Amino acid sequence: MAPPKRSRKTGADSHEIVWMTSVCANYPFDTILIANRGEIAVRIIKTLRKLGLRSAIVYHEIDAGTPAVAMADTAIAIDGRTPIAAYLDITQIIAAAHKANAGAVHPGYGFLSENAAFAKSVVAAALTFIGPAPESIELMGDKIRARNFVQRNGFPVVPSAIEEDDPATFLYRARAMGAPLLVKTSGGGGGKGMQIVSDLGRLEDAIAQAHSEGQRYFGDGRLYVERYIENPRHIEVQVLGDCFGNVVHLFERECSVQRRFQKIIEEAPSPALSPEMRKRICEAAVGIALAGRYRNAGTVEFIFDGAQFYFLEMNTRLQVEHPVTEMITGIDLVAEQIRLAAGHALGFTQPDVVPNGHAIEARLYAEAPKRGYAPTTGKATVLEYPGGNGVRIDSGILRGQQITTAFDPMLAKIIVHSSTRLEAALKAYRAMRELVLLGCETNASFLMRILAGEAFLSGDIHTGYLEQNPHLAAGDADLSSFLATAALLTREIRESADAVPELHAAVGSWRN
Amino acid sequence: MKHSLETNGIEHQLWLSRCRGGYRLSLGDKVITSVAFAHEGDGSGVLSIEGESLPVRFLIDRDIIHINIGGTTRVIRYVEPLRARSCAFAQTNHLVVRAPMPGIVVATKVSPGQLVYTGTPLMVMEGMKLETIIRSQREGVVERIHFKEGENFERDAVLVSLSEGVS
Repeated sequence: MAPPKRSRKTGADSHEIVWMTSVCANYPFDTILIANRGEIAVRIIKTLRKLGLRSAIVYHEIDAGTPAVAMADTAIAIDGRTPIAAYLDITQIIAAAHKANAGAVHPGYGFLSENAAFAKSVVAAALTFIGPAPESIELMGDKIRARNFVQRNGFPVVPSAIEEDDPATFLYRARAMGAPLLVKTSGGGGGKGMQIVSDLGRLEDAIAQAHSEGQRYFGDGRLYVERYIENPRHIEVQVLGDCFGNVVHLFERECSVQRRFQKIIEEAPSPALSPEMRKRICEAAVGIALAGRYRNAGTVEFIFDGAQFYFLEMNTRLQVEHPVTEMITGIDLVAEQIRLAAGHALGFTQPDVVPNGHAIEARLYAEAPKRGYAPTTGKATVLEYPGGNGVRIDSGILRGQQITTAFDPMLAKIIVHSSTRLEAALKAYRAMRELVLLGCETNASFLMRILAGEAFLSGDIHTGYLEQNPHLAAGDADLSSFLATAALLTREIRESADAVPELHAAVGSWRN
Repeated sequence: MKHSLETNGIEHQLWLSRCRGGYRLSLGDKVITSVAFAHEGDGSGVLSIEGESLPVRFLIDRDIIHINIGGTTRVIRYVEPLRARSCAFAQTNHLVVRAPMPGIVVATKVSPGQLVYTGTPLMVMEGMKLETIIRSQREGVVERIHFKEGENFERDAVLVSLSEGVS
């Protein structure tokens, strides 16, 4: 196996990304089926092209006009009771993989990416699953088992009460920890089935609601209650493991800017960590991955209260925010996932991973922050993305595309890279300012307000920051320029103004 | 005459009149003495407002205008004077429950002909990853349920129609 090659371009300015390409000529497959959609499918296809592999994709007809379907070498339609159900239909996806002569399946994120039964079905169909072993997915997907596993291996977890340890005393044990508490479902994630209880009188209701949400969303009503760490920072570490027992980390990402437990701005590195703390948290992540004999790409999530970090969960897939890591390390995570799934050893060791500069990602959502982040719909009639040095756009939509509520409201990710955090924040702000999407409301100006805010610029953020600063979601009070433009562009309003001669109008105003 | 523009559920009354070199805009109790708009190709132009020049991108879709100024986009609707008045009449005898956000029907809790009171759960919907119970805002009889379980709807869609009860 050839060592990694650093292709350093000449005349690079300080923040240019130096891609570290692991050269790998032989894969046991030549076509990979992508069991996903949107921006992540596009992003995976780009790497497949770079590696000289063919791409196949499954799609529901509602996505027929999306860029991923147009870009894939083969596109196979699947259907379901709802569009989401189609992308969750294991039988149809495996059949599509065979039809496309694919030798491997990449699940992306969301949908079936953390479904152990899917990973097993892929393997049983003699296909390579681009991800970890099904056992790792099972272990980490069960939040209670994962938590116990991590604690048993000597890594810190948040104090908690687990219902199934003794259901009869669950409420009592939870209450004994004192408020505030966080009620979580074992199958949960992405903000679903999680509730903060600051008044213990509400605990019983919160537990009942979490039972039903857990059952409804994950078919698993098991619960646990954690001591709620107030205003923590969310820090996660990217790891890569091969099937020879080697694990490296690709440093951390901070994702503390969240709305309702959903990340909206992520960055690497974290401004909150000292070099010593960075070393400790990254080594803990590697330790957890090693203990679980983890292979392929994974992310170990922690919460950090400024002094201590605690294991939160491990995501056994590619993360939405993986580009910030790629920007600072120059490592293409999808290419590494494919290499590792193909059974190759890691092409580099820990000292080879050298972070460079600062990267920030902002998630463009079809939603209205000022209406409680309600999803919005429309048609992206005008769509212009910013460009320039160190600006990367991972988009899943095209100009003219209909935006529906059939899926997650994320439209695109705007990722920037600069030599310092402050420059990256300014670059991200400028990029958001240049972005024009008309026809569907988005959270773009909300992201701009966050990026330009003093708290963000000074790195003083935590997961409760947006809830504590509702003015950021409410937006600017001054509408004059917008109303003036609308008035001047509305025929009825302009015609009624033009119908009154200028002199007359002036006289009229004196009379008032 | 006064016109009305709506954005984010709030109506803004305004008055536009000609003045030298452009227009004069009265917005509530505020008066902007000089506004003008210069078109620059399709869907873009420059707004001059009190000596400032702002590049504008816009999209007109029937009575809705999408406007982007400096990265911020606002969706503004022209409220026709006649419609504004007729709605006020219609609402009194035609009782409708509208969707607060786009979503999908999880369950219907009532059937046509059923008497409901203020606060009676009519429907369970899911939107924004959360379940929301749609409750009746008043007393009445369920006339029609417009969406079946599993069906999608847009924001402001009429979910349930009620009629005045036997009173």
